[in-house]
Amino acid sequence: MQDIYRQIFKDPRFHELQRKRSRLSWTLAAIVIANAAWYVLATAFYPEAAFARFWGQPISEGTATTWGIIIGLAQTVLFILLVLYYIHRANGEFEVLKEAVVADALRVAGKQS
Amino acid sequence: MTKLVGSGMPRLVGAALMLSTGAAYADIGTSIHKMFSLPEDMSHLKPTAVVMFCVFVLISLSITWWAAKRTKSTADFFTAGGNIGGFQNGLAITGDWCSSAALMGIAALLYSYGFDGLIYSVVPFGAWPLMMFLLAERLRNLGKYTVADIVSLRFARVPIRTLIASSSLAFVVGYLIVQMVGAGTLISNLFGLNYEMAQVMIGGLIVIYVAFGGMIATTYVQIVKAVLLLSGATFIVVAVMMRFGFSLHGLYQAAIDNHPTKEAVMQPGGLLPDPVNAISCGLMLLLGGAAMPHVLMRFFTVPNAKEARLSVAWAASLIGYFYLLTFVIGYGAIAFVMKNPEFMDTQTGLIRGGANMAAIHLASAMGGDLLLGFISAVAFATIVAVVAGLTIAGASAISHDLYANIFRHGKATDAEVMRMSRIAALSLGVLGMVLGIAFKDQNIAYLIVLPFTISSTVFFPVLFLSMYWRRLTTTGVVAGGWLGLASGVIMLILGPTIWKDILGHAAPLFPYKYPALFSIAISFGTMIIVSLLDKSDRAKEEIAAFADQYVRSQTGLGAEGAVQH
Repeated sequence: MQDIYRQIFKDPRFHELQRKRSRLSWTLAAIVIANAAWYVLATAFYPEAAFARFWGQPISEGTATTWGIIIGLAQTVLFILLVLYYIHRANGEFEVLKEAVVADALRVAGKQS
Repeated sequence: MTKLVGSGMPRLVGAALMLSTGAAYADIGTSIHKMFSLPEDMSHLKPTAVVMFCVFVLISLSITWWAAKRTKSTADFFTAGGNIGGFQNGLAITGDWCSSAALMGIAALLYSYGFDGLIYSVVPFGAWPLMMFLLAERLRNLGKYTVADIVSLRFARVPIRTLIASSSLAFVVGYLIVQMVGAGTLISNLFGLNYEMAQVMIGGLIVIYVAFGGMIATTYVQIVKAVLLLSGATFIVVAVMMRFGFSLHGLYQAAIDNHPTKEAVMQPGGLLPDPVNAISCGLMLLLGGAAMPHVLMRFFTVPNAKEARLSVAWAASLIGYFYLLTFVIGYGAIAFVMKNPEFMDTQTGLIRGGANMAAIHLASAMGGDLLLGFISAVAFATIVAVVAGLTIAGASAISHDLYANIFRHGKATDAEVMRMSRIAALSLGVLGMVLGIAFKDQNIAYLIVLPFTISSTVFFPVLFLSMYWRRLTTTGVVAGGWLGLASGVIMLILGPTIWKDILGHAAPLFPYKYPALFSIAISFGTMIIVSLLDKSDRAKEEIAAFADQYVRSQTGLGAEGAVQH
């Protein structure tokens, strides 16, 4: 098994896959962390901070719904969509690339033995 | 059970004494005697609730009977043979994730604190994308039965497994107490059964599910529960929204009109007033939620990383949907339960059964006894299923990590490990009952901080660094893990909740309610510094082994697959 791991490690496509995947996952993770931080800090610094002040205001004159509620709902929906987008990419193009790399490595290992 | 300590006395000390002295046994004796007497007040008994509850118990026991015939090996017992499909696993994960805290706790927080209660919906849900992007697929590719398997691939087996298994058990027991006490209170409120009887009943059911049906039974019980929970919450939301012609503005206006603080109920502020507590709590929910052992264990019940991702797609969608519903349920409780004489205690004028009952009362206000009965049965199923999930996580830590890998050095036979798992399940069930009875009538809200602190301080840093950082060594993991765990627990004990409120000291020795910010920093920092200083030969081997582990974590080559029968 170690030979196959080494074989895969030598394949430039493996590193391309890894680069693509980690760029995507870290970008999406940063979006999530920023949103969660916004939510936590808004509750902590309301109403002084500018990024929190409008959370308590109604979305339009005379309605009860505040921006805070809308942001909370939108963030929840956003998190679902981010997960689905990541999985769409990972189970699609990344999986195809991975299968190709693994199949080649197995073929090379098969020839050697 | 008679109360051992007066209300003014330190309650936690009371509980600790109760467990450690002879008086405790006498006390538990009287409670066992009382347990089998009929409830004093039968008027609480709701026939619909009892019928639906019995149906759930019958279904779950038939599932267990069916599953027991399919549980032949340890792989079946711990991971259902890796044969669960993505959709089923997604539902089961939803079941594991949504404890009674999700249904009753969030509604209670909104009822008591308004807008800030939603922080427990939005921030923990952020753990889901984070878990998917950073941990889930690598975990699936590296693990076998438990979280400890992943870490011990490249590190020394005994010290690592000891750390992870002990942390898992502390996590499980802390979480277990919260669920058991919640279940006891719920049942005594709804079914009129007495509290101790409820504990025995839940403990008994759990032991049967886990000991006989293993992961297969636990998974299908979770699926039934998830379907019940999602449909129950949907019923409440539809009933609430119908009153306002499906206008959110209408609902929120009614909540403002009914709440003493008026507009403030829709605005932030109140629950987490100072920034350090807020950031610490946020980090705890986000990182802790991404590394809960009983949830991560579910990634091993599917055949490969692709199915693991599919199960996350389902789980994240369903859990996200559930959290969206809490935006209506919590404010619905403010609009319909608050100030409603039907749900207020005649003597105190406060909500009957405490704020935790807000969601249940809302069901009754919306759909009468029928919906109340259904939601009560749902809440009960929720707790039973979560306790089962925790018990199997605890049983696997005991039998797979401690017994098979440490005491028997990996030489135990399949049959021996199975026997140990069943003994562990039985012991955890009994422990849950005893602790549930010991913590009766106590303020246990702080206990939920314990498991989250452990998972954010131990599991997250260990898993994250072992998969992402080549330089990590055994010495680093062990030093950082234990130091983080100890500092987290000590800061929790010396903090405002336990030191001041429960033990009755004038001022806390540690100023913050949530120690996670500090314990996570200690844990990460120690792991990194100690690993960098570690120049031993063992460390060099571990660093060299990273490349192979890395390829496996990315490709799944050499990972555990499904067991064929």
